[in-house]
Amino acid sequence: MSLPINSRPLMVLRLETSATQDIGSTPQGALTIFPVTGGSFEGERLRGKVLAGGGDWVTAHSNGTLTVDLRVTLETDDKGLIHMMFTGVRDDANHYFRTVPRFETAAPKYAFLNRLLAVGIGEIRPEGPVHIIEEIL
Amino acid sequence: MNTRLLMTMHVKVGTLLNIGAVPYGTRRTAPLDGGTFEGPRLRGTILPGSSADWQLLRSDGVLEMDLRFTLRTDDGALILMRSFGLRHGPPEVIAAIGRGETVDPSTYYFRTMPRFETAHPTYLFLNRLVAVASGDRRREGPIYTIHEVL
Repeated sequence: MSLPINSRPLMVLRLETSATQDIGSTPQGALTIFPVTGGSFEGERLRGKVLAGGGDWVTAHSNGTLTVDLRVTLETDDKGLIHMMFTGVRDDANHYFRTVPRFETAAPKYAFLNRLLAVGIGEIRPEGPVHIIEEIL
Repeated sequence: MNTRLLMTMHVKVGTLLNIGAVPYGTRRTAPLDGGTFEGPRLRGTILPGSSADWQLLRSDGVLEMDLRFTLRTDDGALILMRSFGLRHGPPEVIAAIGRGETVDPSTYYFRTMPRFETAHPTYLFLNRLVAVASGDRRREGPIYTIHEVL
């Protein structure tokens, strides 16, 4: 018997980044760091802004894919702080950019985030990266 | 979100090793003694000895899973599968699972996010995808239905 996978929208995350820090070719691949300077997130159950101070560590691999490793702090409109991180795969040749976010918070209202797994669909838009994130039910 | 079935995996869990109370919660290790996987594009066995689950029971009652498997396909490819997962549910359901009873998997949350690494040309597509799995904990071990995220 095969179990179904269902999901529902969690948030749309928009990131603002500043000039990249190009670490260059390392034993793991070509590493580029995208400092996150701000942004916003919006969903039915939470909304607010992305605080400056996060970043996305992006490594280019020999098979043409990128792996991403992002950490940011989200501040909800009612002042809850949420640590969000994700890793993921970006394969531009196949228009595939998927991430697996995780959340940590001490705010009781948002404790549901500690207990869920999520998947994000990433897009690079002219105004910056946008991630459409769904909760895995 | 669109997904498609990647494989169904039957895992045999060995004897749990209770590490005990650590600063992060209650830690235990579950050696995985083997099993099988089968899907439209790959099938084979789980290799014991290099497959285990490092579990952490958190203070909020959520079980975090940190799984590593070595898979061997029926045509001899070796694949590393790593996943992070969460399991939680009503206390009576979790207690029933603990007693080895078979419970309806829709009554608790048991999801993992597998990632793959392989060098075998037939299975390179696995290096490029993100997957989501639903778990069904049985007495002998979990059954995972693993979907590719499209």
